[in-house]
Amino acid sequence: MIITSAKPFEEILSLLKDEDDIFVVGCNVCAAKLKTGGEPEVLEMCRRLEESGKHVVGWVLPTAACSIRSFESLAEKNEKIKDARCILVMGCGSGVSAVSTVVDLPIYGSNNTLSLGGTSGGELLSNQCVMCGDCTINEYGGLCPKSQCPKALLNGPCGGAVDGMCEVNREKDCVWDLIYERLKKIDRLDLLYVIHAPKEHGFK
Amino acid sequence: MHFNFREKLNSRKFLVTVEVSPPKGTRFSAPVEDVSQLKGVADALNVTDNQCSIMHMSSLAFSKLLLDQGHEPVMQLTCRDRNRIGLQSDLLGAYALGIRNICLMTGDYPTCGDHPGSKPVYDLDSVQLIELVRKLDSGIDLAGKKLDGGTSFCAGAVSGIDPENTMQLIKLEKKVRCGAEFIQTQAVYDVGMFEEFMEAVNHLEVPIIAGLIPLKSLVMAEYMNKNISGIHVPEETMLRMKDAVSPIEEGLSIASETIKELIKLSRGIHIMPIGSHKNTPKLLSMAGISEK
Repeated sequence: MIITSAKPFEEILSLLKDEDDIFVVGCNVCAAKLKTGGEPEVLEMCRRLEESGKHVVGWVLPTAACSIRSFESLAEKNEKIKDARCILVMGCGSGVSAVSTVVDLPIYGSNNTLSLGGTSGGELLSNQCVMCGDCTINEYGGLCPKSQCPKALLNGPCGGAVDGMCEVNREKDCVWDLIYERLKKIDRLDLLYVIHAPKEHGFK
Repeated sequence: MHFNFREKLNSRKFLVTVEVSPPKGTRFSAPVEDVSQLKGVADALNVTDNQCSIMHMSSLAFSKLLLDQGHEPVMQLTCRDRNRIGLQSDLLGAYALGIRNICLMTGDYPTCGDHPGSKPVYDLDSVQLIELVRKLDSGIDLAGKKLDGGTSFCAGAVSGIDPENTMQLIKLEKKVRCGAEFIQTQAVYDVGMFEEFMEAVNHLEVPIIAGLIPLKSLVMAEYMNKNISGIHVPEETMLRMKDAVSPIEEGLSIASETIKELIKLSRGIHIMPIGSHKNTPKLLSMAGISEK
């Protein structure tokens, strides 16, 4: 799941300052789960835009903003899109990009795209993967230091953690503490002694 | 000029290294003058690399300026600001300019410093950087290409001193396995804790140089206890700082007593004075360490 957060409404209004006849495209997958682009948020966006003096021609909620088949498939769901002079996509950056490939109009995204994550037991898990294309998560018991350590260290923690909390964010557990606990639980502490080579970034 | 830090490391001599900071700007005469107090006092001078992520003149340039003044620098190099190309390039440049000692570390995150929005690199980590230096020493680069003249660095690394922190101890072991020739540690205030640390790493055959930051105030001690990983200023020391008429003098007394204990436990001391070096020669003389 792609983790997004909604841009402040004032920022969206500023993006749309020279635009009108707006058509809103939501996303019924990740953004809906995160309440940044599901039906309630799309309706709220339309209401606030109208209140701010903008004309919203219509909206649509495709299954996923990032897997649009064609302009016609959007128009089938709501032909008002044909009257639009710009599009506001309430999805992740990938959703905005996908919609832009089928609509020849100015396009805007209402969200900030933060990371690849998920949920577990109702708890949001952000920064689970940076999609580096050179996956070594198996060497860390299923926790990725590349994504969860701000320094992306592969051979152990930096010297900055205090009481198991990260140097960069004192509210966040040092992932190396979590990796240690995890490897201990599955009886694989031997993995901590492996010397890991640098990542091959160039081959992504 | 006689470069002998590596020889001293391999001797039984008790070593003194001192941390110095490049200027924040291009005027270097005042900091070079300040550092001149350390001549004959320190065996080598660690030159910091944008310490605490605060932008300064490069450690490479300031190391060279100190070299020209007859000092023996230990150029610090962090993984924060350079990718593997930049790191190798600076290492070759440093070696060509006569810098022989380096100390390799991860580096504080940019948000700790004065350019918090800068993009951190961390293309390599400190373990991989040590491995990289050993490659350059063997005459090839990280891509396996032959160099037209390799290096022969005396390369060290850093470590925390918390004997309970297993992950840190394992990482230290990896650094030694990759070829770290010396280790400079986090500041020691609790000699008992340091002794336990030394026992925990007893199996590693590497000279360990114990860090030392003389206290200047009670507030400083409280700050370190709360915010710096692995630093433990014992209650007794806190009380001494609290009751001190002159906290700076008391801090020097405490540091000199610590040095006397460390002489029995470590291969040397690494003094990080924070600011001017005017008290460093005095501290060493209080600790009974004679001039070099």
